[in-house]
Amino acid sequence: MFETVAIIVFLATLIGIALHCIAFPVKRGAGAGVIPRIVHVFSLLLIEQERSLLGALKKLCYLVTAVCFVVLAITGFWPVLVKGEHISGFPIMIHSTFAAVFAVCLAIITITWAGSNRFERSECPWLWRLLRRVTNLRIPRQEGPCKSTVIVKKAMFWAVAALSLPLILSVVLSMLHLFGTHWQEILLAAHRWSALLFAVAVILHTYAAARLQMAQ
Amino acid sequence: MKRELIAVLVPLLVLTVGPVRAEEREPLLGDESDGSRAHPIHLIPLFPENEDGEKGEQIDPEDVDAMPFSTRLTCGECHTYEAIAGGWHFNAADSNAPAGRSGEPWLYFSPKLGIQLPLSYRPWPGTFTPEEVGMTSFEFTKIFGRHTPGGGVGEVKATDGDSIAKQYVSGKLEVNCLACHNAHPGQDQGGVNGYAVQVSAKENFRWAATASCEFANVTGSAAKVSVTYDPFMPDETEKNAPRVTYDKDRFDENGNVLVEVVREVPDNRCYFCHSDLYGTDSGEKAEKWKTDEDIHLAAGLTCVDCHRNGLYHNIVRGYEGEAEISGNAMAATTSCRGCHLGNEDGERPEGGRFGAPVPTHVGIPTVHFEKLTCTACHSGPWPGDQAVLTKTARAHRLGTPNVNKDPNVLPHVLAPILAEGGAASGTADDQIAPHKMVWPAYWGNLSDEGVKPLALDAVEKAVKRAFKDVEAPAGGGWPAFTPEQIAEALKGLAEVASDKAVYVAGGTLYHLDEAGELVTEADHPEAAPYMWPLAHAVRPAAQSLGIRYCTDCHATTAPMFFGSVDVDSPVASATPVTKRMVDFQDSVSPVYAWAFAVSFVFRPMMKIFAFGACGIIGLVLLLYGLKALGAVAKVLAEEE
Repeated sequence: MFETVAIIVFLATLIGIALHCIAFPVKRGAGAGVIPRIVHVFSLLLIEQERSLLGALKKLCYLVTAVCFVVLAITGFWPVLVKGEHISGFPIMIHSTFAAVFAVCLAIITITWAGSNRFERSECPWLWRLLRRVTNLRIPRQEGPCKSTVIVKKAMFWAVAALSLPLILSVVLSMLHLFGTHWQEILLAAHRWSALLFAVAVILHTYAAARLQMAQ
Repeated sequence: MKRELIAVLVPLLVLTVGPVRAEEREPLLGDESDGSRAHPIHLIPLFPENEDGEKGEQIDPEDVDAMPFSTRLTCGECHTYEAIAGGWHFNAADSNAPAGRSGEPWLYFSPKLGIQLPLSYRPWPGTFTPEEVGMTSFEFTKIFGRHTPGGGVGEVKATDGDSIAKQYVSGKLEVNCLACHNAHPGQDQGGVNGYAVQVSAKENFRWAATASCEFANVTGSAAKVSVTYDPFMPDETEKNAPRVTYDKDRFDENGNVLVEVVREVPDNRCYFCHSDLYGTDSGEKAEKWKTDEDIHLAAGLTCVDCHRNGLYHNIVRGYEGEAEISGNAMAATTSCRGCHLGNEDGERPEGGRFGAPVPTHVGIPTVHFEKLTCTACHSGPWPGDQAVLTKTARAHRLGTPNVNKDPNVLPHVLAPILAEGGAASGTADDQIAPHKMVWPAYWGNLSDEGVKPLALDAVEKAVKRAFKDVEAPAGGGWPAFTPEQIAEALKGLAEVASDKAVYVAGGTLYHLDEAGELVTEADHPEAAPYMWPLAHAVRPAAQSLGIRYCTDCHATTAPMFFGSVDVDSPVASATPVTKRMVDFQDSVSPVYAWAFAVSFVFRPMMKIFAFGACGIIGLVLLLYGLKALGAVAKVLAEEE
């Protein structure tokens, strides 16, 4: 069941992104085409380089996390979705090695990016209008367009952070002498499903981040 | 014309209906239980076999020429002997009987000839049939019948001249019902005049069951009388002829004897053929009193609680998948999983039989249950750095007189070998299970079909010159042949072998090249060891692998993968050749096993990092979650 659902979810996500790209193409910035912008964004590896030690560390951390994610996704999903078997052998060793680094980097990213991913009132004026209408509260009027890409990016950041907890804990707890076979199976299932949602959140976050970069 | 027709049809009708009627025969008194759990009393008359192989007159204990009782005719009065004789313990030679997973072979060995051969009538891969080495069923019974409950091969009619005459004197080795079902402490399987001695030393096949019971005594030996001796016409001048004396006090006025037969076989009866003595890691002599029994027996179960059978004696062996092979549905519920877990998808709960605890396997990832059999962690001795020499009742004649108690005595059985036995072991291809192992050593003929052993008597004649100066060690181990001796023996065998004479030993194939020089091919597939899974003794859960740490198995020196296995060979070697357990695990790469083990050094660190990361992420989520909550509260309080 997991295999089927995972394949459908991944396909739906990628098709959805493709359709979104076609339906809502990125608005061109001054004096540059789409392809040069894509090249520019990916040469920056999605985030701007800041001229500070912290900026360099943040970028380094981001890059390591991205590499780890790719390795973890391949080693984790490939055997299950493509070969139809459990992860085992060298893939599981690579998976667990990169997982530890990934967890640490993810924690650093969460701390360093959390502030900039706070939701702003101005990003979603329709929500405030809805609240005013439904609750009749004295909420200040918000005008302007909805920054949906920004919202998606921020929402996915928090989703990634939140999903990382069951993702990491499910596998680490199973290594402790705490849970029997039944709970081991539950933890394994929790790891798989949270990994699927986590991967989708990362893909959507990356897509949103790329769009924002290209739009700048 | 009519008469001719009738003359043809009547015999045809008789031939056709006869067998049908035989199959439809009414069950005998003891074939079906009425349901009572009480032991039926067996106050019974004893019947011998007459010279025609049929039922003789009831045995009179006063008769000085009394014959031994026949179980076929005595027990067969109330129990269908033919049905019982087709059971697992007796049907090895029946080609229609499913072989099931590989089991312990009969090990023929000769230190002076450098032979250690796994023999079996069952087609277990890696074993050879006695016929392949020129051993008749009579000879096989004489050598190995000591540790059988009779029947099977022992009842095969001899076909070669010498054996026909010998079998007339010795008789057939009938199923010895008492070997298992006699609960009397006087049942003598291994005493100086007991069953084993009667079979293997005295060739008293016909007398063996009688000699083993507590109410008769047998003297004399069929092996010492002429092949022309007629046991049905006793000759008083033949002093060595087998004779029976019955304990008259055990017979009532009707000539009936009270035999202490029980349906549930006592463990002690099973132990005679199914005992193991594992060597020690330190090399010290193993002592029975220092070892524990199987935890199931310690908990109060008996062997036959799990290894059950009905009239047909199709006894449950107890391995996974047996039910499909043997057609015995009971097998599915008396395996480890059957009792401890039951069929979780079944219509009714079946686990927990006999109060079997349902295991929780705390901290064990579920992948272990796919890659390992239950026995891998729970059975046999706790694996040490090295597989140890192990004695088994059948291989080492345990429980019989004058057993060589030297720990190094042949045959050399090594255990535990944590190997992937595959289908032959009744396991999945990539599933590790504990095994016992022997390295075959024999003289053979190499043809396109592989290596087949040469007849033992032909080998003895051909190679004895090469080994005339070889002296077998007192301990009963290998004599350490030199390559020169092997080469000379192979030259002697060249005339015996139809294709190419070879010697197989210690995983190596030895043969001569065209120049007559000895060629050795190590790790030759034809010289692979024979392994069979072990299941007992089951250790308590507190002594199972992984109970302490993952590093019970996942360490760079853990026996599960890196325990060493001696490559046992009669050929002298400058340095002992050893293999690792992982060499017998085809789906496991040694590099991977080592690297995975190394990764456990970092595992505590990984757990700390993971928990630390989760703590930080959790705190950030909590912090910003609270901030968000504060913002919502402000809005709801209409402060903005």
